[in-house]
Amino acid sequence: MNGNLSAKHRLVRRSVRRFCEAELKPIAKEIDQEARFPWEVVEKMGRLGYFGIQVPRELGGAELDSMSYAIVVEELSRSCAALGLCVTVHNSVAVYPILAFGSEDQKQKWVPPLARGQKIGAFCLTEPNAGSDAAGIESTAVLDGETYRMNANKVFVTNGGVADTCLMFVRTNPGPGRRKISVVVAERGAPGFVVGDLEDLCGMRANPVSSIRLYDCRVPIENLLGQEGQGLRIGLVALDTGRMGIAAQSTGIAQGALDETLQYARQRRQFGIPIERHQAVQLMLADMATLADASRLMTYRAAAFRDKGRKFSKASAMAKLFASESSCKVTDMAVQIHGGYGYSKSYPVERYYRDARVTRIYEGTSEVHRMVIARGLLTE
Amino acid sequence: MDIIVCIKAVTLTAALEGSVRSYDSVELNPFDRPVLETAICLREENGGRVTALSMGPEAGLPSLYEALAMGVDRGVLIADPALAGSDTLATSTALSAAIRRLRPFDLILFGTRAADSDTGQVGPQTAVRLDLPLVTQVHAVEPSGNGLRVERNADQFAERFDVTFPAALTIHPGSAQPRDMDLANLGPVFEEQNVTFWGLSDIGLSPEQVGDAGSPTRVRSVSRIKRQKMCEFINGSPMEQADQLMKRLTEAGEVG
Repeated sequence: MNGNLSAKHRLVRRSVRRFCEAELKPIAKEIDQEARFPWEVVEKMGRLGYFGIQVPRELGGAELDSMSYAIVVEELSRSCAALGLCVTVHNSVAVYPILAFGSEDQKQKWVPPLARGQKIGAFCLTEPNAGSDAAGIESTAVLDGETYRMNANKVFVTNGGVADTCLMFVRTNPGPGRRKISVVVAERGAPGFVVGDLEDLCGMRANPVSSIRLYDCRVPIENLLGQEGQGLRIGLVALDTGRMGIAAQSTGIAQGALDETLQYARQRRQFGIPIERHQAVQLMLADMATLADASRLMTYRAAAFRDKGRKFSKASAMAKLFASESSCKVTDMAVQIHGGYGYSKSYPVERYYRDARVTRIYEGTSEVHRMVIARGLLTE
Repeated sequence: MDIIVCIKAVTLTAALEGSVRSYDSVELNPFDRPVLETAICLREENGGRVTALSMGPEAGLPSLYEALAMGVDRGVLIADPALAGSDTLATSTALSAAIRRLRPFDLILFGTRAADSDTGQVGPQTAVRLDLPLVTQVHAVEPSGNGLRVERNADQFAERFDVTFPAALTIHPGSAQPRDMDLANLGPVFEEQNVTFWGLSDIGLSPEQVGDAGSPTRVRSVSRIKRQKMCEFINGSPMEQADQLMKRLTEAGEVG
């Protein structure tokens, strides 16, 4: 299945899988049902490097490559997609932009606690009136002496309920336009920093997705990431990596659903034989495995491109589009093969089914991805 | 404290005839992980060095990488085509020859058995070949003078021994909870490549001492056992059912 992986990547997979089987799988159902963020496991993951996968070791990270990152997110999501989500968003769109665009001082200040999971990061772009149209954001940061006075209303913030270090996409100059958007880091606890209620979502329920609002929140000018007006570029660079993570997550969800279904199809008997011997079931299993494998290959290709320093935006977008849509198809078939039990919370596939659905929506909808991919094709 | 831990890459599937070990079909023997943990803890508390030693084809290399990622200082792999087919005695011949080359050392640790062949012989055989004192099934160790105080449970008795260095122990799998791997350890393992490869000539052995030639046992055949599964209902009140079940399990030798 993974004939091309190096010994290092195999060991990454083995390490993460062993951790997940022992720590995450046993609680995945409970934390989904209770919509609880499992701090006890997150703290362990922090000490083991999951929150600084690609962060240099001198900043407290594990300093692994993109392929390792994809494998970690895939394996986490195979057991618990909500924790996979926490880790991928934290690593790709919160920590990575600080590494890529931050000053030396900013990196020294923010990255070490993020890399060890002592602080959790969030990417705050979406607003009530700006989703796919990222340039339509209305939040502001107005320079006032040595501080920005920030007013923002960010919704559907992944990790929002627990995030300490928040990359806020805001207008640093009044008026519309792409060039006026910047990223300013706001930290939980600052006066005017308000965490809204947790969203009551269909899936990914163990992730504390919430709104984050800033009311005249004063943030030092040193918290500007990169240059003023560079916000959308930072966002796009972050999302290239983030999408690879969502592709890895979708692959993990599909694989987890497939593994559960194979086990069930072996045990469940109808018409006197295990249902795995019915051709109608076999056809679905074959499609599930093929979709999961193709998703994995596309994800690893994007990761390999990134590791080689090649352009990977298109590969990443295609992997995210294909893997997220595949995970929905695979989990749908997983429920179908389980029959009535698949629709019951007694079996885990209904959770995979709910968790998969949002992968087609966040970090760019399937439709936006098709637009981006097509635009690339037409201008190449 | 200079510790050598002998580890094995075990096959995940039954070792049927003609099966070839590959990266995906082997993993570090689960009974060896608590042993590595014990060794690393001893080093963390007392200083010294831990060497992981393994014999087998290169497909077993990831097990050494795993030991390195857990925190051992170096790995040694004895790999030679002539070793193919070695039984437990020939394996102990090779391990003891390698251990002699690794002298000086204080302590040799083994797991109690391997998850694939389940003989439990290699540790004791190697200790005998090296003429070392051996305590088996040890579940607790602490430094004591020029040696260790160790504990083991045997049948209904708790035993405590003092052993002087150099010594050999087999470590009970329940003795330590192996640590989770820190992802930050994985990069350096592959950057430093701290594994030494030894062939037969490096450990002063000739092909007739190991492999098929050096093995007194011959595996005639390996086949899968098909068990007839039976389902039986025990009647009576819950108390009676429990009593009946305990009685049956005791008679069958499953408990007691």
